[in-house]
Amino acid sequence: MAARDSPFPDLSIADQLDNEIANLRAQVESLRKDLKLQTATLMTSESTRQLLQISTNKGARSNRADDATKQKLLERAEEHNAHKQQSLYRACASITTFKARDPDPNAVDGGSILGLRFEVMSKSRFLKPYYVMLNRPYSNSRHLRIHRHTVPQCIPLSGLAARHLPAPSIKNDGGTSKMQDLSQFVRTLRRELVRYQNRIAVIGDLRKAAGLEAKNDTDRESELVNISLAGPMAKQIHMEWSDGRSGRLVMGDDGEILKMAVQGQNGQDRETVRNLLGRSVRIEEVVKQLEGV
Amino acid sequence: MAARLSVPTTARLPSSLRVSPSNPAVLRVLNRLSRPSLLSLVLDWLDPKNQRLCPPVLRPPPENPDDPEDDDDDDDDDDDEFFDDLYPPARSLAKLQETYEDMQTRKGSRREVVDRVLEGDWRHGISLYQLAMADQQYLYDHPGSLKWACYKIAKLQTPDHEDMADDDDAPEKLDRETLAVPRFHPPTFLQNLQAEVLPDVKAHYNFDRPRGGRQPLLLLRIFVLESPYNTELAVTSAAGSAAVNRPGIGKTTTTFDVSRTIYIAFPDDSPHVFVSKPQSTGAGGSATAGETRSLRALVVEGVPKALSRPRERYALRATNLETKNLDAMLAVKGAGRTNAAQGGWSIYAAGDKAEGAVVANDSPLNALLPTPPLSVIVEEDKDEKGDTTLEASVEVRQQEAKKRKRPLDPEEAKEGKERKRSKLVAQARFGDSAQIDDGKGIERFDIRIEDPFPGLLPVEEDNEDEREADGHDEARGRKKSNKGRKNNVDASLLQEEDPDEDEEQRIPDNSTRDETARGGDKQHSSEGTNNKWRPIVRLTFHGPHVFAGVRQLVEAGVIDSARMPGWMTGEEGVSVGAVRHGRIRGHKGSGM
Repeated sequence: MAARDSPFPDLSIADQLDNEIANLRAQVESLRKDLKLQTATLMTSESTRQLLQISTNKGARSNRADDATKQKLLERAEEHNAHKQQSLYRACASITTFKARDPDPNAVDGGSILGLRFEVMSKSRFLKPYYVMLNRPYSNSRHLRIHRHTVPQCIPLSGLAARHLPAPSIKNDGGTSKMQDLSQFVRTLRRELVRYQNRIAVIGDLRKAAGLEAKNDTDRESELVNISLAGPMAKQIHMEWSDGRSGRLVMGDDGEILKMAVQGQNGQDRETVRNLLGRSVRIEEVVKQLEGV
Repeated sequence: MAARLSVPTTARLPSSLRVSPSNPAVLRVLNRLSRPSLLSLVLDWLDPKNQRLCPPVLRPPPENPDDPEDDDDDDDDDDDEFFDDLYPPARSLAKLQETYEDMQTRKGSRREVVDRVLEGDWRHGISLYQLAMADQQYLYDHPGSLKWACYKIAKLQTPDHEDMADDDDAPEKLDRETLAVPRFHPPTFLQNLQAEVLPDVKAHYNFDRPRGGRQPLLLLRIFVLESPYNTELAVTSAAGSAAVNRPGIGKTTTTFDVSRTIYIAFPDDSPHVFVSKPQSTGAGGSATAGETRSLRALVVEGVPKALSRPRERYALRATNLETKNLDAMLAVKGAGRTNAAQGGWSIYAAGDKAEGAVVANDSPLNALLPTPPLSVIVEEDKDEKGDTTLEASVEVRQQEAKKRKRPLDPEEAKEGKERKRSKLVAQARFGDSAQIDDGKGIERFDIRIEDPFPGLLPVEEDNEDEREADGHDEARGRKKSNKGRKNNVDASLLQEEDPDEDEEQRIPDNSTRDETARGGDKQHSSEGTNNKWRPIVRLTFHGPHVFAGVRQLVEAGVIDSARMPGWMTGEEGVSVGAVRHGRIRGHKGSGM
């Protein structure tokens, strides 16, 4: 952007002006962001809050307009604090709930929705949370059902729901055998999500360890040419070697190595498997071993 | 290849099996392609990797025994006639590639390329693999050319006892509690599928991935021939023109004309399959509708068997989703997060960069106070609603308002405001989905409404809504920017009186409100006749992108989004559905 700003002789005046306007807009945008950030920081600080409160308590004499602004400021500060608290909960608890409304006018239960928010971390970053929205569609029962969600297909959400959030039985009046266990459901679902994310991350680590991520690294010593995901639940790793051998590594839910096979020119190549796996039990150990080579 | 003796087998058709270039089906497949894509296809055929399956006719070099042509012994008889040949065979593969690359830079007709391919470089025949490539190229060039139906792969319960497994009459039970996601391994799948195919039908299979990773799915093309042979006998035409090239094989039966092509798409990381409607490749087109349907049924029956393994049985379940747009299909049944979060819920699934996403940059470490645009809308919405009811309840004031509104200038300002508000409300109901240019439009959406006639059962919320709608139609009509127009949805919903009458509501982009005028009158006449009258009403939405059309109508203020049922936003992810209590029936939540 900045480079374009310099007046090019071949650009028409209109273009130059356009560039300038675009630049200024970008500047305004970034300044606005700064302002927001600084407001947020100031608002949430304890001293600001104290100042505001003191002045409202004392300020019996001050004029009304002043009071109104202070009231507004206090409200804003409350909002900011609420957001801060929410963020804190989310960062620490990793599963949080919220209330939402279904915009559908025909929605069940007046459109009340219980939202579950799952925070998943990967590569020391918070990923975009996964959401599961629950509603209560059953008349005369408070059983929950999954309404909408953003969980990928490879997480067996329906199976989990069938296990932990069964629908009330139609025949008898909600027998004890079909109790819903929301917390158990949430816990297992979170476990699945985190496991899934971890398996994906470990494949990235493997690639890095094998030197596949660095693009201009021409003389890499490893002869692994490709490591990729195979299978829907990110449980299988496909590997290719430069001499045409290819292999599969199957891992369990938590990244423990279940089995591995390498197919070479003349049938199975157990040598490579031994070299690659060594004595590792978990996939992370393979990563370490690859890094060590 | 030129087997003199043909024995019926159950094997599949080999990819290298050549079809005579004079076969009308071959001509048809190639002629469907545009010149550029045909040329790039030919260059793909000339790729050294593909030489095993689609070798062109080359002039055998005198001192090079390592020619790929060598294994095709039946080409030798063509060698003498090169000089007076219109398309003399090239000396080498590189030369031929050059020729076609030249053609790429030159302008010309498609005819030129097709002729060169059929009468020159592949005069000995187009292999089935080449045909499959050409057919698939057409599919990539014209993504809307096939109609796909989506099926869910569901796991069946493993029978507890051996006797139960043998009992064929026992109903298959879905294993709803399974945590296993079915895995799909192409070679195994093909092997099993082949075992399911009857011996008097031969099929050629070809797997392909759309180029450039545009769509995350694996395409399987199944080309079915009704022939007991898997040799050239299966593909020779009786027309006699084939016999000119190959005097040895002048068979009288033709099976190519009744060949069928069916595509199965396996989306990555998703327990669904998309099956296309079979199309006939043969020139005859003699296939009846029932025949093609049965082929599809056969495939749908065979796929779960091919996916199953011992102690792991699967079944396909229809999902009420049928569309021509694979991208739309992938958005609803693919691997991403958008599957069960369509419509307004898409804000939760939207990427970080998506504009207008409430939860953009939704990291708990983000210190900034989020300014969700929708919260503003909701408040505004409430205000407006309050206004409406107020205005509607007092009829006198309403009329005054009407008088006042018309000539005044502020109305324009109000109109602008309304338009802005409609846009925001549309954003609230549709989120980021249903944009006209997102390329995820389904072209047909069928709804059957099974609700009792509105207004007769005031218990039900939605019905009351409709009722109210009728009463306040005028008020609303005036309140909206486009005066005098009644709600399109209302109109269509209020027309429910006509039993058994299929009503078609067309929404091309944002137009045609022909039937809107007929809305309100009929209701009163039928009031109080029957308490539970459920007329059969079918609605069909047509257009290049149905839900984007609905969204545009909302944005234009034609549809009152506050009363628009949820299925009109496309959030259910189906293309066919029955509505009961204002919701798509049987579609429990997100298809759980």
